[in-house]
Amino acid sequence: MGRRKLLITAIALASAAMAAVRAQDGQFDQASVDRGREVLVNQCGFCHGANARGGASGPDLTRSELVQSDEGGKELGAFLRAGRPDKGMPAFELPPQQTKDAAEFLHANIFLNANRRLYKVLDILVGDATKGAAYFSGAGRCSACHSATGDLAGIGRKYEPLALQQKFLMPRGGRGEGPPKPAYMDKNALRVTVTLPNRQVVRGVLVRLTDFDVTIYDLDTSAMRSIVRNGDVPKVDVVDPLQGHLDLWPKWTDEEIHNMTAYLASLK
Amino acid sequence: MTNRFRLAFVLGLAIAPAALVAQQAPVLDPAILMRPPTDAWPTYHGDYTGRRYSTLTQITSDNVKSLALAWVYRLNTSQALANIGGEGPDVPPAAANGFGAPTIKATPLMANGILYFSSPDHVWSVDARTGREIWHYFWKTRGGIHIGNRGVGLYGNWLFFLTPDNYFVSLDAATGKERWHHEIANVKREYFSTSAPIIIGKQVIIGVGGDSLDVPGYLESRDPESGLVIWRWYSTPRSGQPGAESWPNAEAMLNGGGMPWLPGTYDPELNLYYIGTGNPQPVLSGKSREGDNLWTCSIVALNPDTGKLVWWYQVSPHDTHDWDAAQTPVIFDGVIDGKPRKLLAQANRNGHFFVLDRTNGKHVLTSLHTDSLNWTKGLNSTGQPIPNPAKEASIPGVLVSPDTNGATNWPPPSFNPDTGLFYVSTVQSYSMFYLTDTDDRPQGWAAAERGLGATSRALKAIDYKTGKVRWTHPLATTANGPAGGPMGLLSTAGKLLFGNDGGGNFVAYDPATGKPLWHAGLGTNTSNGPETYMLDGRQYVVVGAGDTLYAFALPRP
Repeated sequence: MGRRKLLITAIALASAAMAAVRAQDGQFDQASVDRGREVLVNQCGFCHGANARGGASGPDLTRSELVQSDEGGKELGAFLRAGRPDKGMPAFELPPQQTKDAAEFLHANIFLNANRRLYKVLDILVGDATKGAAYFSGAGRCSACHSATGDLAGIGRKYEPLALQQKFLMPRGGRGEGPPKPAYMDKNALRVTVTLPNRQVVRGVLVRLTDFDVTIYDLDTSAMRSIVRNGDVPKVDVVDPLQGHLDLWPKWTDEEIHNMTAYLASLK
Repeated sequence: MTNRFRLAFVLGLAIAPAALVAQQAPVLDPAILMRPPTDAWPTYHGDYTGRRYSTLTQITSDNVKSLALAWVYRLNTSQALANIGGEGPDVPPAAANGFGAPTIKATPLMANGILYFSSPDHVWSVDARTGREIWHYFWKTRGGIHIGNRGVGLYGNWLFFLTPDNYFVSLDAATGKERWHHEIANVKREYFSTSAPIIIGKQVIIGVGGDSLDVPGYLESRDPESGLVIWRWYSTPRSGQPGAESWPNAEAMLNGGGMPWLPGTYDPELNLYYIGTGNPQPVLSGKSREGDNLWTCSIVALNPDTGKLVWWYQVSPHDTHDWDAAQTPVIFDGVIDGKPRKLLAQANRNGHFFVLDRTNGKHVLTSLHTDSLNWTKGLNSTGQPIPNPAKEASIPGVLVSPDTNGATNWPPPSFNPDTGLFYVSTVQSYSMFYLTDTDDRPQGWAAAERGLGATSRALKAIDYKTGKVRWTHPLATTANGPAGGPMGLLSTAGKLLFGNDGGGNFVAYDPATGKPLWHAGLGTNTSNGPETYMLDGRQYVVVGAGDTLYAFALPRP
């Protein structure tokens, strides 16, 4: 076997493995899912509900152990052929492809129910922008640091409402742009001032403060430095540039959050 | 040597090992569990009480400054020399998620100078004197969430552990060879198992976990010889049973969750096994499960002989924030209003501290161990928090403290009878909760969470008589704010409290004040409950941090 042929075989094997992994990972055949939905609605929906979560006379199929344990419609098909006449479930003779599609639809739904990280947040723009504006310059004291025509101009264009809401509740963290970087390189990282016994002052970004040492990152020199602590010596003062945001967490009402979201989203 | 002598010698050689085996005590005599020893750590909490308090006094607040590293064991996960079992394929399926660097969340058992512990799919036997591996068992998984494993159970010569794909496996403790395995739950229903088996009499008590789909939770007793079921207790009622009135219908309670995913505690005199149950399903939406949803988020007492429920106390009626009650129900005898009482205390994930009478489950007191909570309308007449419906997930979002990880979590707390203080590490966190499944029959989690972060992370000491926080010791701070969080704790009669500082140090604190007395810079926060035992006249303190187990002792004289 030549090297080229080996390579092609390797690629073919790798793609087969990838396909298998993707199937397990919940990458469903969307066409089959769509056909399966039709099968469910037309054949099963009357009893089990249009979304298969149970109806007037039939149980929830997505919560069914038999369905959850099924692989590719095999167990489902066997069950359908026999039915459960004693419980009012008639036998069904579905063509194999329809059984497979119905199973694909059910498995896709079960997968989406089970994987909360895939849940889609719905419409959160329900607030009153005018009230949000009032809070911005009033109780929220946002205008002490921010301006709708300055740093926040066009912010509603830059971020989706959900991202916007996350940003004003807690601007720190998140992936940001470019490659991942250490937390102490975040522009909103905590700042620290260490006053040594000889009155020398060391300032920088706080990397870590424990009872035993303090580690400082110097923004000017990119150097990191640690200083051992002994009780309250040396003196360490930590400032969170986002303290204003943190102070609002215990104060926000949900309505105020919704209003602020609406206001900032309106800054197009 | 004459022939006769030679024959006798050979026969002697042949007989001797057999005789030795016959006389040899089992690795762990189950009777030891009834009189917890100081030269072994025979069960998850060291004893049945969950106090994680040791009477050992070789290491004290006076000499702890000299505590030094005795050995290090780094997890070996290679299959090369492992005993291999399991029903899964050679390459783990993608559905087996949550892999990553293996982390020691188990509290190792120690018997006869040997440590036994686990992480998902792995069990190790390590020499407690030297930290050298004796054997390693590897389980080929079929899937399941690989979030953690709390450890093994030991009965005689037999080890027991649970796998993420829900097998109850038994090994020979001496060799690490598998005896048998039994499937206890269906991994395709998103069950996964993390608990450490607890031995009571000739029974192994195990529980299942998993809350991705709406499946029922249960606890089982199994036979240590055959591995077969002795009883099974469902953590939600069935139609017609008491408790069924706390659910709208049979469908809701049959799919109502309540996973008993951590080990419980046991009072041999009362013959009651105490365990905390998990959250109801669907997790973040209560729309299809109106009512209190018994016995989810509850502390329950079961008769271990029958698996029958004796009493319950629900710490989060109708939970909609994933705050289970799985945290250790610690049992101790104390004095309340001048009267001696048999008590049970729990620092709960929902931010409250509860003290109950463990004979009957009657409420003694409820207090807050974390101040930022915003989800209740106060307490009812029996000290249960009353959930505020306005703080259940909504489409545009609600801001709730704490987040779903809770104000504390699974790492074992400690109760010290010398100080009368209950030690627990807490977090003041906030999250937005967005309802995403608006169907009348929501499923799974039904809502999305977006975390804001935490305003405080601190180690706290709670006076069990008043429920008041006696002292608070803030943990480390990093560029992001407060660091660390829930941690495993151990207190000793040597006036010491072992835990971490959230900044990668293993610390011995003064249990009376929270002042740090000693630390070791491990670089990673401890990830399990620390333990201590005597071996060859030396007191060892053993703790896991990430993928490494550390043993500390005073220098040899």
